[in-house]
Amino acid sequence: MSDPTALGRESRAAARSRSGAFDIPENPPQRALALHRALTAVWANDPGWRGQITAVNHTTLGLRFMATALVFFAIGGILAMLIRTQLATPEGAFLDTELYNQIFTMHGSIMMFLFAIPMLEGLGIYMLPKMLGTRDMAFPRLTALGYWCYLFGGLIMLGALFAGVAPRDGWFMYTPLSGATYSPGINADVWLLGVTFVEISAIAAAVEITVTILRQRAPGMKLTEMPLFAWYMLGTSVMMLAGFPPLILASVLLEIERAFGWPFFEVARGGDPLLWQHLFWLFGHPEVYIIFLPAAGVLSTIIPVMCRTRILGYGAIVASIVALVFLSFGLWVHHMFTVGIPHMALAFFSAASLLVAVPTAVQVFAWIGTMWQGRPELHLPMYHVLGFFLTFVMGGLTGVMLALVPFNWQAHDTAFVTAHLHYVLIGGFVFPIMAAATYWMPQITGRARIRGVGEAAFWIILIGFHGTFFVMHLTGLLGMPRRIDIYPDNPEWIWLNLTSSIFSFVMTIGFALFALDLFLQATLGKRSARNPWQAPTLDWALALPAPAYNFASLPGPRLLTGEPARPALLPLARGEGVLPGAPRGRREFLVTSIGAARPDHVAVLPGNTALPLWLAGAIALFVLLMLSGHYIWTLPALTLVAALIWRWGRGLTTEQDHPAVEAAPGLSLPVHYHAHASLGHTGTICLLFSNGALFASLLFGLGFLTLVTPGPDAPEAFVPGQSAIPAMATVVAGLALGAIGVRLARHAVQGERGTGALWFSAVVNALALLAVAILGLGLMDDPTTHARDALRGVLAGYVALHALICTGFAAFALDQLRRGELANGRTGTLKTWRFWQDFSLATALLAGAAAIMQGGV
Amino acid sequence: MRGWKVKRLIMSAVPLALAGCDTELSALSPAGPAAAQIAWLWWGMLAASSALFLLVLVLVAMSFGAPRDVPARRWTHTLGVGFSLAVLSVFLAAGLWVGERLVPRGAAAVEVRAHAFQWGWRFTQPGPRGMVETHDVLHIPAGEPVDVIVTAEDVIHAFWVPRLAGKIDAVPGRQNRLRLQADEPGRYAGMCAEFCGVGHAIMPFEVIAHPSEDWPQAVTATARDADSDGGEQ
Amino acid sequence: MARGALWLGQVLAGPAIWAVTFAAVYALHGTGCAQGWDAMATPVGSVHRLAMALAWGAGLLACGGLLLRFSGTETRWQALPRMGAWIGLGATLFSLFPLIVLPAC
Repeated sequence: MSDPTALGRESRAAARSRSGAFDIPENPPQRALALHRALTAVWANDPGWRGQITAVNHTTLGLRFMATALVFFAIGGILAMLIRTQLATPEGAFLDTELYNQIFTMHGSIMMFLFAIPMLEGLGIYMLPKMLGTRDMAFPRLTALGYWCYLFGGLIMLGALFAGVAPRDGWFMYTPLSGATYSPGINADVWLLGVTFVEISAIAAAVEITVTILRQRAPGMKLTEMPLFAWYMLGTSVMMLAGFPPLILASVLLEIERAFGWPFFEVARGGDPLLWQHLFWLFGHPEVYIIFLPAAGVLSTIIPVMCRTRILGYGAIVASIVALVFLSFGLWVHHMFTVGIPHMALAFFSAASLLVAVPTAVQVFAWIGTMWQGRPELHLPMYHVLGFFLTFVMGGLTGVMLALVPFNWQAHDTAFVTAHLHYVLIGGFVFPIMAAATYWMPQITGRARIRGVGEAAFWIILIGFHGTFFVMHLTGLLGMPRRIDIYPDNPEWIWLNLTSSIFSFVMTIGFALFALDLFLQATLGKRSARNPWQAPTLDWALALPAPAYNFASLPGPRLLTGEPARPALLPLARGEGVLPGAPRGRREFLVTSIGAARPDHVAVLPGNTALPLWLAGAIALFVLLMLSGHYIWTLPALTLVAALIWRWGRGLTTEQDHPAVEAAPGLSLPVHYHAHASLGHTGTICLLFSNGALFASLLFGLGFLTLVTPGPDAPEAFVPGQSAIPAMATVVAGLALGAIGVRLARHAVQGERGTGALWFSAVVNALALLAVAILGLGLMDDPTTHARDALRGVLAGYVALHALICTGFAAFALDQLRRGELANGRTGTLKTWRFWQDFSLATALLAGAAAIMQGGV
Repeated sequence: MRGWKVKRLIMSAVPLALAGCDTELSALSPAGPAAAQIAWLWWGMLAASSALFLLVLVLVAMSFGAPRDVPARRWTHTLGVGFSLAVLSVFLAAGLWVGERLVPRGAAAVEVRAHAFQWGWRFTQPGPRGMVETHDVLHIPAGEPVDVIVTAEDVIHAFWVPRLAGKIDAVPGRQNRLRLQADEPGRYAGMCAEFCGVGHAIMPFEVIAHPSEDWPQAVTATARDADSDGGEQ
Repeated sequence: MARGALWLGQVLAGPAIWAVTFAAVYALHGTGCAQGWDAMATPVGSVHRLAMALAWGAGLLACGGLLLRFSGTETRWQALPRMGAWIGLGATLFSLFPLIVLPAC
């Protein structure tokens, strides 16, 4: 990982101590089989079908995410075949237009939300703990919740497809076409609610991937020495935390507009359809890089192994990842070059869109340099790597072309863009993922593949892909727009479309063969050698297939730099690493510091539970009630959700003191209940960061509609300032006093006398809730009259939700106190609550200020 | 003027050879200065991109063989940052230069209106006696710049005549301006380029460029023809 | 713990300055065009362009300051904050320079 030369273990330890790094002595070796049995008893899923429901293990769930994503890829692919069949002839009568529109909308939505994102989440969830040297993700129940939300959301969308009421307004769902007037029926609601439901899983995965990478690396694995894949996934998950909220906000606003008539996008009442486009693409462009980064992480992992060398330019690649994470948020307007924005603004985004090619180029050249420095061997994963180069570089170059404003004016919304985006997504995601699949299949199944099938699949896919999409560039330049189902007057497009259609079927055969190859390997393959590629990373330092606990003992500084990973395998299995076995009969792993990965404390994980399934089921109930228009009945569903979240929180508490754990000779670590900064602490910060992005998107919408939208002015505000200001002041004061209360309670708890402060906090937070309710229900203008009032209604709702959450925290803390869970330095929920309370106070202040600056209060 | 025609001939020759038949919606057979400049930009970018693509392929191919020791910074900094920034700067300069020349600044002599609805176009243009309204046919004079004011009735559409200029969206609540010019009299096909519902594929229109001496006298006659089969919604 | 978080913050500082500057200039541009700031003249250009140029200059200065502050290049740990500052400076320069060469609205 860090040092290429084969230093002996002792001299390596000496080098470490010279550079100020720390050392952890080894534990005495034990019998590997006994450790395996003890750990399996603690970590394994429940037996039988129950085990499928209650599993929270990252290996199980990661694989399940990827398998489900593959199924959706197949469904999305079949939809693509239908599209290509329709377009094979100019007057195709294969599908009627309504159905065709549903199919291309679902093709895009499925590939984006139900294939690509869950696939990369699954890869991260499966791979990261193994690569970083830990036993599970930070929040195993959250992994399971994410999976169920993804599955249920996906099933709702699929159900709509089979019932003939699938979304039909394009995967971008532009208003006003997707508004209530032009899209009556539940088609658009299916998209808005289904996708938002699936996004819960994306946010959940992003939070825990971030926390896992920052806090669970093997002790001594510095941030600047961790496998590059982890850097890529860190960048991806931070982008998901910041990038999904704008779409969630946009979907919520559009759903409110459709269901309750609050205008956000409707011109006649002060809304603006361009607000949807801004919010959608503020998500939509980062989305492309969210998909590309994990794939690039796969390439940075596989290429050096296939070339028997190590990656070239680690530092430059990390810098490129940082640059991509940021720059990708400055490109969204290049999807909107034709909406009539002034040229200078387009120029900013054009320049930023070109600039994003630089960090991409740095990586491509670093990969090529790695190949020069090593000796490339043409194993099957390397075929897909070459397929990546061939395809992605062309997609990148057409992307540079499309970043130029004038060319974009011609090519926008034509088949040229269809070609470009497939070159980027299949080149930049599907080929690397196929490389990953062929590379890690021995690790996943413990079996070697059957020769020949994979190579054939690769060639058929490559030929099919380029045959389909290369000509599509020309089709677009000859004027064929996207999303049309017939072209009777344009004979010049016939042979181009027919070519695309024929080769698309070739490509499909290739993908089917690829799936067959995976199936054959999993069922018929011979036993694979351990670490068949001689890879250096820890994911190969475990038994094949991976046991439920990954590592019998966790790799410490002395076992980290094994290159290849094989030398670390035996000592780890014998328990010579940190925190061996499961002597306390509970799931434990090590939590380390963000930078140098110094051991901080031992986290105790919850075991198998069906709670995530019930919670996802309750959310699904809410979504279905919304879809069917039974808005009143959503209230009991939401109550059920809240009750289950309470139940969830109960699973995190303890009424006992836990003695420190001896993780290695002389290394005694506290258990997380007593830790200063637990995983929950880091996770809360991540979640609030995402929540902040949501709030910032809301403020952006408010500023946009107030300052830029040319629509009709808002009517004179009904509410005189004198009556609204006191209510707003009460909200802020209540939340501020709550923030003081939670701090007082924390001090009081040390002396076991916190009741007064907790009651005080509960009351003032409830008062704030009451005040915002009075404000919203009694004092504010009807939100259906104008966008200004609708936005104010949303701001009030946001503040009310947070006041409710803070009140809930206070009640939960009181309950904890009653049970004796807040004592002896165990602060229970108080720290998490304090973060939420401060966040709620800050957003309430900003919301109030924004409403006042909007004018008319 | 003659050199211009020669260029146009070269430009249209390639896709003609490829497609082998008419190219009435081809952005590569420009019939006006806006489309022509974008087409030039395209051919330039195509040439540059092909060279870059070839470079990458050659570098990848050369990696197969004995290991070679090239300093890492030469890959990441020299090629990755320096070289790519230099190329991209040229691209950006070309894009801004062409873009700024195509943006309507000030007002053109002729101004027409295009109003999109589900699923058709209503055009308003000068006729012999005041403004004339037509459906799915727009009349302009050849050889001079025309500003099209694009608006929408219901959902978002886009006005696109590939041989004359790039596209511009018709957004409810906004007025967008597109400048185009047809060098020669003739008929130019146009369509809606933004997905707008089930009628999206059947929203074509035609731009008729009249010799400037016949314009706007010639407008009425054709307008009446078009009117008879038109009829909003 | 704090040291690692601080270091991450240093790496992200440069690009974050770009993000803030880019968002500020874009917001000033959109607001100015909608509110007619373009027509208000000052001795050194319109109020609109002046406001955008000031925001741009502030961003460039801040990135320059970071470059002076993060001078180490010896280890990867030291070099990354400096690379971050370069990313911020380069991106701010490249993505916003159109504001001095194009008409505003």
